[in-house]
Amino acid sequence: MGRYIIRRLLQSIPVLLGATFLIFSIVFALPGDPIAALAGEKRADPNLVAILREQYHLNDPLLLQYWHYISGVLFRADFGVTFADVPVSQIMAGKFQVTINLAVTALIIEALVGVGLGLWAALRRGTAIDTMILASTLLLISVPTLVSGFILQFILGVKLKLWTGLDIFPIAGISNGLRSYLLPGFVLAGVSIAYLTRLTRTSLAETLRSDFIRTATAKGLSRRRVVGRHALRNALIPLITFLGADLGNLMGGAVITERIFNLPGVGLQLFDSVYLREQPMVVGIVTVLVLIYILANLAVDVMYAVLDPRIRYE
Amino acid sequence: MRVTKGAQIVAGTALLALAVAACGGGASNNGGTATGGGSAETPVRMELGEPQELLVPSNTTESEGAETLAAIFEPLVTYDENKNAVEAAAESITSDDQKVWTIKLKSNYTWHNGEPLIAQNYVDAWNYAANQENAQGAGYFFGRIDGFADLNPGEGKPVTTKTMKGLEAVDDTTLKVTLAAPFSQFKVMLGYTAFYPLPKAAFGPDGKVTQAYGEQPIGQGLFKMDKPYKKGTDQTIDMTVYDKYPGQKPKNWTKLQFKLYTDSDVAFNDLQANNLDIHDSLSPAAIATAKSTLGERYQDQPDAGVGYIGVPLKYNPELNKVEIRKAISMAIDRKTIAETVFSGTRAPADDFINPAIAGYRQGACKACTYNPAEAKKLYDEAGGPKTLELGYNADGGHKEWMEAVANNLRQNLGIEATAKPFEKFASILDELDAKTYKGLFRMGWAIDYPSAENYLSPIFSTGAIKTGSNYGGYSNEKFDELIAKGDQAATVEEGLKFYQQADDILNEELPYIPVYFYRNNSGYSTSVKNVKINLLNQIEWADVEKV
Repeated sequence: MGRYIIRRLLQSIPVLLGATFLIFSIVFALPGDPIAALAGEKRADPNLVAILREQYHLNDPLLLQYWHYISGVLFRADFGVTFADVPVSQIMAGKFQVTINLAVTALIIEALVGVGLGLWAALRRGTAIDTMILASTLLLISVPTLVSGFILQFILGVKLKLWTGLDIFPIAGISNGLRSYLLPGFVLAGVSIAYLTRLTRTSLAETLRSDFIRTATAKGLSRRRVVGRHALRNALIPLITFLGADLGNLMGGAVITERIFNLPGVGLQLFDSVYLREQPMVVGIVTVLVLIYILANLAVDVMYAVLDPRIRYE
Repeated sequence: MRVTKGAQIVAGTALLALAVAACGGGASNNGGTATGGGSAETPVRMELGEPQELLVPSNTTESEGAETLAAIFEPLVTYDENKNAVEAAAESITSDDQKVWTIKLKSNYTWHNGEPLIAQNYVDAWNYAANQENAQGAGYFFGRIDGFADLNPGEGKPVTTKTMKGLEAVDDTTLKVTLAAPFSQFKVMLGYTAFYPLPKAAFGPDGKVTQAYGEQPIGQGLFKMDKPYKKGTDQTIDMTVYDKYPGQKPKNWTKLQFKLYTDSDVAFNDLQANNLDIHDSLSPAAIATAKSTLGERYQDQPDAGVGYIGVPLKYNPELNKVEIRKAISMAIDRKTIAETVFSGTRAPADDFINPAIAGYRQGACKACTYNPAEAKKLYDEAGGPKTLELGYNADGGHKEWMEAVANNLRQNLGIEATAKPFEKFASILDELDAKTYKGLFRMGWAIDYPSAENYLSPIFSTGAIKTGSNYGGYSNEKFDELIAKGDQAATVEEGLKFYQQADDILNEELPYIPVYFYRNNSGYSTSVKNVKINLLNQIEWADVEKV
């Protein structure tokens, strides 16, 4: 197992290098002068532009620029500076903290609500409850995050406070601690909750029909033990795969939610940095995102072995 | 009280969430959630976008950073209700020949670290700003001072001196500034962010402004920063009234908090829920709601910006006949565009100078009146081009009004007019420079200092083709002469007469076609009153009162 993990981690090095170079070249190829973009709509002073281009190595060819960047990262753990002369690592630390909080909140809500609802529906298959749960997941899937986000923010954030005087769901920002992440976390998790519910329902329903469940039931095990220990454990494997892959999606896909709830996270920063063509910032963020994907996938693979002893790694 | 089903569900959800929040609690703090802020300790909370740079005056050319710094620094001049520059940190600003200026400082200002404000602080700050080695974004503001060229020899050339010869601290309270050429509006310029002084503590051992200073600038103004602002992490910038500030202080509050938002509509939601007190950039979408829900707390006032259709005179000879430009101008239905497309957040333009600034004359642009019949006649007689392209940058919400203008031209002139998106405004400029784009283009201008001159020479003077914002390449000798006369005039008022004559030429020749004036749409919460926004679009903090 240990060797397997180390091999997987080593494999990720070329992936990371390739990804950074790819992103670097894409940002490099974008049209427009990044320094001119800083001046907004006024024409930037040509003398100043020339000096700044020199300072940020923007006149060098792509490979040399990439070398400047990657050597800094590899040898000095220095991710460079933004055009405002703030270290990229300082900004990334702050932004990732926010997005990780958001993604983990979303993941927890997703797992609790999604698996819970799916379980309920699977055990009550064909009843009114099952139909209702299925219908509501359809609703969740079809309403875009942008719409649900604004509506929930307005009803629970603005109106609820005005009606009741209770400040339960902060509308914007992160100044209210963990509470700040509740509503955005729910909105971000929305679509995934629906998928997870349906996946749980199908997966569990299928397992419940298999022979070993019938055997277990025939042996006289309690319903609780049959479902909890035998059926659920087997049904969890596809769910874990989904959740693992979804963590990466949540991290990267948080742009809209972060905007609606004014969370200073990675999604927004990435958007701005691509716009300003800040290569170091874009590459830094993407690198960390790739790393999170890789680690999440690895964690999923390891979880398999825990859940199903028949799976072994060499 | 009757509770509806919907409310029950909402309340149920809320209780559930409250329980969850309580479980996860502990880590939460009370960062400005207090309701009904009566006490002086609750801050006045103001909406802000993230400042682009660290908070250094000479490197701040955008509005968010400028708004923050305006709270921390006292400028040499501010602007009164009649749009005139009046002394603030300065005791007097005088000149006999408009070339050599003597600035006397008031003696009772101190820096937030206790040191007195002296003339040398200005000399240090301005020399630093102008030096090309420091690559300060607002460095070009010092271009009129004698010796600026020595500090800006050009790319790759070493700077041999650290000081401008036109700048001298005669004694602790007297600053002598010699300009390279007379400029009657110099005093008006001095209210701008770039002209703030810097204390000794701002500079590191290498003579550069330190990063620590940029995070927590020490100023000599009304507010003192509570802690460093960490860009990328912090979502608020917190300040407290500085005890030894000699000017007018707010009556019944001492704490100011800027809250950073990325989306104006989110801030508006916060304002409605009383989590925010002042929001000065309402979006068109929010305005309809704001009018009805805020009532008197919604404000709408002229903002100094102008929106034009730019004409590439230098690159497209087909547009050189003035009749053609007049016809295009008369074919544009400005009123409908301002009211419908912009939901009233813009006003129809009728001059090159904005009504917010002294020098504006109502209806000065005759060809800005909507007259489709006359337009068609003029256009056909002058033989205007059968197709026109209208370029706009797709990143700034210009699509709708440019489409509307194209529609006007199609219908009223009977020509093929299309709106063409560009990725960024810079892409339009690049194509203009390369002479690959010959169409009309959208253009906007926000002033740097509130003088009529700022609407004229940076955009339309011959000198601005190379170094300024004269993107159309317009050149008129008479216009340049009048600007020069205005610059040399003995007083601000006399200068204004010449600028207005120069403005007449523009209104007659239409090198650009003015379309709209910006408006400032703001709102405030029930916990504050007497919110005033000045010519630089900044809040007059001393006037704001808590309710």
